[in-house]
Formats: sequence, C-alpha cells, structure tokens
Amino acid sequence: MDYTNNQLHVIYGDASLGLEGPNFHYLFSYERGGLESLVVNQKEWLYRTPTPLFWRATTDNDHGNGFDVKAAQWYAADRFTTCQKIDLTVDGQLVQPLPIAPLNNRYTNHEMANQVALTYHFVTPTVPSTSVSITYTVASDGNIKIMTHFAGREGLPELPAFGLRFIMPTTATGFDYQGLSGETYPDRLAGATQGQFHVDGLPVTPYLVPQECGMHMQTSQLTVTRSTTQNNADQSKQPFSLTFSQADQPFAFSCLPYTAAELEQATHLEELPLPRRTVLSIYGAVRGVGGIDSWGADVEAKYHIPANQDLDFSFNIHF
Amino acid sequence: MQANLQWLDDPEVFRVNQLPAHSDHHYYRDLDEIRTGSSFIKSLNGPWRFHFASTPSERPLHFYSPDFDSADFDTIQVPGHIELAGYSQIQYINTLYPWEGKIYRRPPYTLNQDQLEVGLFSDAADNSVGSYLKHFDLDDSFKNQRVIIQFQGVEEALYVWLNGHFIGYAEDSFTPSEFDLTPYLQDQDNLLAVQVYKRSTAAFIEDQDMYRFSGIFRDVNLLALPAAHVVDLDIKPEVKDDFERGTLAVTADVSGTDAILELTVTDQNKQVVASQTQSGTGKVLFDSMPFDNLKLWSPTNPTLYQLLIKVYNNQHQLLEVVPYQFGFRRVELREDKVIYVNNQRLILNGVNRHEWNAHSGRVITMQDMQNDIQTMLDNNINAVRTCHYPDQLPWYELCDQAGLYVMAENNLESHGSWQKMGAVEPSYNVPGDNPHWLAAVVDRARSNYEWFKNHPSIIFWSLGNESFAGEDIAAMQTFYKEHDASRLVHYEGVVRTPELRDRISDVESRMYETPANIASYLENNPDKPFLNCEYMHDMGNSLGGMQSYNDLIDKYPMYQGGFIWDFIDQALLVHDPITQQDVLRYGGDFDERHSDYEFSGDGLLFADRTPKPAMQEVKYYYGLHK
Repeated sequence: MDYTNNQLHVIYGDASLGLEGPNFHYLFSYERGGLESLVVNQKEWLYRTPTPLFWRATTDNDHGNGFDVKAAQWYAADRFTTCQKIDLTVDGQLVQPLPIAPLNNRYTNHEMANQVALTYHFVTPTVPSTSVSITYTVASDGNIKIMTHFAGREGLPELPAFGLRFIMPTTATGFDYQGLSGETYPDRLAGATQGQFHVDGLPVTPYLVPQECGMHMQTSQLTVTRSTTQNNADQSKQPFSLTFSQADQPFAFSCLPYTAAELEQATHLEELPLPRRTVLSIYGAVRGVGGIDSWGADVEAKYHIPANQDLDFSFNIHF
Repeated sequence: MQANLQWLDDPEVFRVNQLPAHSDHHYYRDLDEIRTGSSFIKSLNGPWRFHFASTPSERPLHFYSPDFDSADFDTIQVPGHIELAGYSQIQYINTLYPWEGKIYRRPPYTLNQDQLEVGLFSDAADNSVGSYLKHFDLDDSFKNQRVIIQFQGVEEALYVWLNGHFIGYAEDSFTPSEFDLTPYLQDQDNLLAVQVYKRSTAAFIEDQDMYRFSGIFRDVNLLALPAAHVVDLDIKPEVKDDFERGTLAVTADVSGTDAILELTVTDQNKQVVASQTQSGTGKVLFDSMPFDNLKLWSPTNPTLYQLLIKVYNNQHQLLEVVPYQFGFRRVELREDKVIYVNNQRLILNGVNRHEWNAHSGRVITMQDMQNDIQTMLDNNINAVRTCHYPDQLPWYELCDQAGLYVMAENNLESHGSWQKMGAVEPSYNVPGDNPHWLAAVVDRARSNYEWFKNHPSIIFWSLGNESFAGEDIAAMQTFYKEHDASRLVHYEGVVRTPELRDRISDVESRMYETPANIASYLENNPDKPFLNCEYMHDMGNSLGGMQSYNDLIDKYPMYQGGFIWDFIDQALLVHDPITQQDVLRYGGDFDERHSDYEFSGDGLLFADRTPKPAMQEVKYYYGLHK
C-alpha cells in the first residue's frame, strides 16, 4: 500500500472497519462493540475491546458507610454494559446504515480517508438505565481522540467512578506519566508534587484487604511500556510504548495488573491472580476515598459523582 | 505469704508486694558506665523454660519449688507473646470482650452484685497459663546488694516466686512491675518462677482495640541497688512569665544509708549552670535553682539540659551516678480557652501509635522505636498519643530528644462494658462509679505519672480510652491535678458524661468528629479548647478530606489539631503454604471468632513499616502549621 498521500487506508470489512497507516492498524469491530485491535509497529495493545468503566474496587471506607451497597448497580454495569448501536463517520459524512455486506460490496481495497470516527453507544443494565457513548476519532497519522459521554439520569445512585478500561495482553514493564506524585484521589492530592514520574512494573498498593489503589489524578500524559506480546511469531523482548495524553482536561488513571472486579474478589493480596495483563483505566471522574471514619462517615460531598448529571471526558492515544 | 489464685477474680487485688512506681531514671556505678552501660543491670531476656496450660486447673502446681522436675518444660524466648510462640490461638478483636459468645461474664460488683464470683477467671476455660522458669547466678557486683526484679510488661497477671518463696503479684500489663528479691536471693543457682495468666479482672479494663496476647512481652531485668540509691527523682522545671527565666526544683528519694548528693546541671554547651549538694536519706530536697537565658524545649528546638547526681556515702565513696535529661517548657490553658506551649498556641499534628512489629507483635525493638520517631519527624508529625497504654520505657526519652509532644495515656479501656454494636449501653460499665474498681484505676494513673513525670515531651496525661466515665475516672484526674500543675489532663469520655465535664478533662476531645460538627462546637461559646484524640481513620485506602480539618486551624484558635488514627497497621507476617510466601494476616485469619477482621489495619504505615501512599498528604498538611 502506498501511503505517500498521508491518508488512512480504510478497509470496509464484513464485521469490522479496519484503519491502516504505515505503522499502525486498527480494527473497529461491529460485532464486539468496540475497538478490537490496536496494533502499532506490529504490536497488539488490546486484549479485549475497551468498555465503559463504572466501578473502582471498593475501599474499607466504602464498606463502612454502605456505599458499596448503594452503588451496587454500577458493579453490574461495569461488567455487563453492552453496545447497542454504532455510528460511522468518514471524512465528516455519516455512513448509514453501517456498511456491512452487501452494503460494503461497493468498496475496494483502496479506500482512503483523512479522518474516520466511530461512536459506540452503550446502554447500562441499571434501573433506570442510561447511556454511554464512546467516540473514536482517528486522524490520518493514526492519532486517536477518544471522547466519552455519560448521560446523566435521575434515580441512579452516585457513581464510584466513570472511565474507560483498556486491558492489554501482557504485563507492562512500567509506565511514565506527567502529573502528581504517588497515589492520589480527588480528596487526597494536596500533598502531591507535580512532575514527570516513572513507575516500575504494575505495583498494587499492599492494603491489607485488596481494594481500589494506584490512582493518579490530574495527569496530562501517560506512556505505558511493555516488552512482550502474546504473538507466537514475535520473540522480541524490545520495549515498546503507547502514549495517552490529555485532550481538553487532565485525566486520572490507574495502571494495574487487575481489574476492579479482581481486586474486589480477594480478601488478601496473595489471593490475587498471577499478574498476566495490564489493566489501564482512564478516568474522567473518581469518587474520593473519604477518611473521617470507616464505619459510616461519607466522603465529603464535593468528592461525590452524582449520576443525574452528564459526564464528559476525552483524551488522545498516540505513539 | 502464699499466692492466692483468686486474686485473679478480685478487682481490688492488683498488686501484692509490688514496689511503688518511681521515675524512669537510669543509674550507673560511675561516669564511664553512662557510655558503656550500667553494671547495676543484668538482663534476664533470652530463653526461659516454659510450660503452657490451657486452663488454670491444668497448670503445674509446685513448679516454683527448687525440687520440681521440669523435664517436660519447653523453651520460650523472653520477651515474647505466648500466642506467637504457637501455644495459644491468636485473636484480634476490637470493642467486644474476647470471650464474646463463649463465656458469660460480668465484672464483679456490677449489676447489684455485692460479692466476688469465685472462679470468674481463676477457674475459667479461656484463661491459659504460662509457667516460666529461669535459673540465674549473681554476678559479683550483685552479691550482698539489694536486688530487684523488674518486669517491664507482662500480660495480664503475673505471680512471681524465687527459690520456692512467693515474691509477689501484679496486674497492669503495660506498666513495669518490680519486686524485691533480696530476702530469698542466693549467690548461685537462683530459681525464678513466674506464672502468667492470660486473664484476670484486669481484662475488663484492658479491652483495647488490638491483638489479644499474653506472656512476658517486654524486658526483664535484675537491678542491683547500691548501699544508697536514688529510688525516685522528681524534676520540676518551671518557666517564668517572661519565658526567659526559670527555676528548677529537684527531689530525690534515697533508699539505704545516709548519702551525699552532688547535683550539677549542664547546658547544651556543657557549661555548668547549676550545682548543689545535699545529704540525707529518704526524701532529699534540693533548694530551688534559678535559671537565666533559658533555652526552652519545643518540637522545633527540643533543647535539653543535663542533670547529674553523684551519690556518695559518708566516706565520700561514689556509690552511683544518676543522669537525667530534662527540659523547660510551659503548658498553659489560658483565659481565652486556648492551650499555649511556650507562649505559642498549641497545634497538634499528631498520630496515635500502638507498639507494633509484624514479626513479633507488641514486642518491639529500640530500632523499631527509632524508626518510628524518624518517620514522624520526616513527615512533620509533632505529637504522639500512646494509645492506649504506656509505651516501653525508652519511648518517652526518645520523644524528649526528637521534639515530639506526647499525650501519655493510661492503660485503661473498658469498651466492651458500655458499648455494644455501636450503641451506648453502660449497664455494667467499669470502672464507672464503682468503689471496688477505684483503686485499680487510680493505681494505673499513679504508675503512669510516677514513671514518666520527668519528661518534657509529655504535655497531656490521658486518663484512658473509651471507658465511659464516672467517679472513678474523675478520681484519676484528681490524682493528676494534685500531683502535676505542669500538664493538662485529657479524656475523651468527656463528651458522654456532661455532668462530669469539669472533672475529667481540660479539653473537649472527640473521636472522628466531622469538620462541620467541630465548627459547630467552636461557634457556640465553647467552654474548652477542642482536639481530636482520634481522627482521619486511615484504614486501607483512606485519608481523604484532610483539607477540611486543616481549615479549622486557621479559623478557630480554640481548635488545637489532633491525632490521626493510627500510625501502623496491626498485621502479622505468617508463612502462606499455598504461595510459599510470607504474607500479612489480620483479624480472623487465625480461625479466631469473634474477630473484627481487617479493622486491625488503620495505619499510616503498612505493618512492615513502609509508609502508605497517603503519607505525602499528612506530610503536606502537617507541614503547614509546624
């Protein structure tokens, strides 16, 4: 393929839309409801499609004040929210309906575009349900801007968190970020210093009972580095990286070997599974951890996330 | 006198033949020994012969007799917890009594009972017994001297015998117990026998939120006393109104023969700034000594003066030297109802600290203590509450040197007697107003005072923790007020018994109060300054919202800060056979029920002493008002 015109190669598949450039190849799946493959320099970055994230593992304080019970619907939503509808826009034109066979028979293997956007519309299994949309806008250089929208709805419990979860096929060797030192939360970040920080591996803060941990608030850029893949034909151990950066506002993230559900499951650190993947959670909103007491005191009101208001956040992926 | 097992059942018997509490000064044969260590002290730490019995009825009866055959005894390390040596089940429990749902028990003399219940502890299924034996010979320097044995901490009741003779009995697990061995001592092959009971009536007032252990868990020493010896040293430095001049009053309680006491005080430049000689025995009073150009002790400048007393006999032979580092500082609760130290408003950037080591429980080392001090200094912590018992003897001296304010708490908590499942229900509260429990708790107040009275770091005496309140606790305050004008008295139970408001605490002290409620108290013509004796419960991933407490400092002069709960997670390192790793275990992990599970982990440090991520927040906020 000749990329001299610096355009995206668009592959109108029967179950997915492929987007290709000189050193990247993305698969936006119609049947899996999300970005199924993010290959940069021949390295796959996704284990499963990214999904909206509504849950951070509950803390001891959450248990004490009953927030875990009040918010329980979001635990289910975190696991079972499904994609209901997909919008495809190529160079500003909505392609409707989705170009699956026979509609895509009109294309060739030489379709090009300057910008392609896909929006995945999710519906939560909460009562009442609400919707989340994730829009991936891919530029011709492969940069992806991700915009996430949560539709506020009366009658829903406050959210533990709202974000997007990326599960990567193998463990990271570490990550570098521009933001705040240490582990920070909305109500616990005054003592942090601003800077560029490197973290080796995927440390899980060793709280006696595994719980939410490893949050980094107010981040402007994050680079995750791995050195292994699951590709049987790729024996290289050379490190490779992917970068997530602020779009409109700084974001929060945690980069751990476990999902919130895995952390939630364990009563001791040694019960956690062997680390084998990287779970990168990018957050637009995080509930505070609280701290007045651990048997009833709520997190201070300004660190709650009401669910009756829209939430939006965005960031970029590049390399 | 013979030992009586039923002392375990009687709250009015808590010390038998035990020597009176006294100051924690060190003493040496000569000046060189200050560097090299005192030859008057012989440590009995190390391996002891040991027998474990699950109940009192299974204990070896005459094990203290020199002709007892102890061939079937094991060996145990002293100091150490019997549970961690594998003999008895480990249990962590918070407020409820450890026998919850296992044994029905009520404290003697409550619920209108006017007599003891024999067997309440002396014949109880949950009262395990450790029988310890130690042989020792006297060093030459100990021969023909008075010799004292000092147990610095034994949980929770102990009986002592020497060479077959009963020596004494003690309770109060976290306070040193001393007995005079002299009458039965021999130069060679002494047999020391100690029987340690896991429970006694003291269990009702030692219901702290912690692992429940038993055994000899702090140092054991033999102390030789020279012919004349300073038994107690009472150092009373006073700061004048100008904060530049002061006076020093010293009283020495001398045992033995008439002695000549040469006292000198040197300053930080090793210049002698006071000296005086007195002689006598019994209470020896020094004339008040004036001081000019005082350098005050404070957290930012923990300036100490070196007092030295040389004790001579009438032939002017040196018998002992007693050094003590003391400091001048002035603690005042002024008319504006604000606490000042050295003319500056007190702001407590404090933390509660249990003694803890993940390997050995409450058996901690000097290195552990030094590490804890350094961690506090590194993170702008300026105050520590010894929750909820007196700490090891060296702790207070370390705090003097480091410049940490200390709230010195008595060994008292009767939480299970008045609060059940969160509800206040004091129907069988002890000590309450109960005359039968009065002497025990006042004795604890006295011991805490006598041992630690000379430490400038201590600015509050704390009557105890979560024991409700009544006349007995008021009597503890009376004791402190009668003995010590240089410090304030703290008790959190002041919030539960308004009728005792002026008799149990100089401060309004609350736990885990919300910033809004604190502001409300301070806005409504408060009668006492406010402090949080516990706040910012740092369980797991926590410590959010500290800003709101910090804001109170700037807004309300009568808000004096507080003590974060708490310093270090209580968790134990154990080997996990599944992963083959050493892992940290918490309440409930030893099959013990009832337990309060992970509630044992609320520290700013993980149990292995690494700081939790939240520490940077503490350092920041505590750095704003140093």
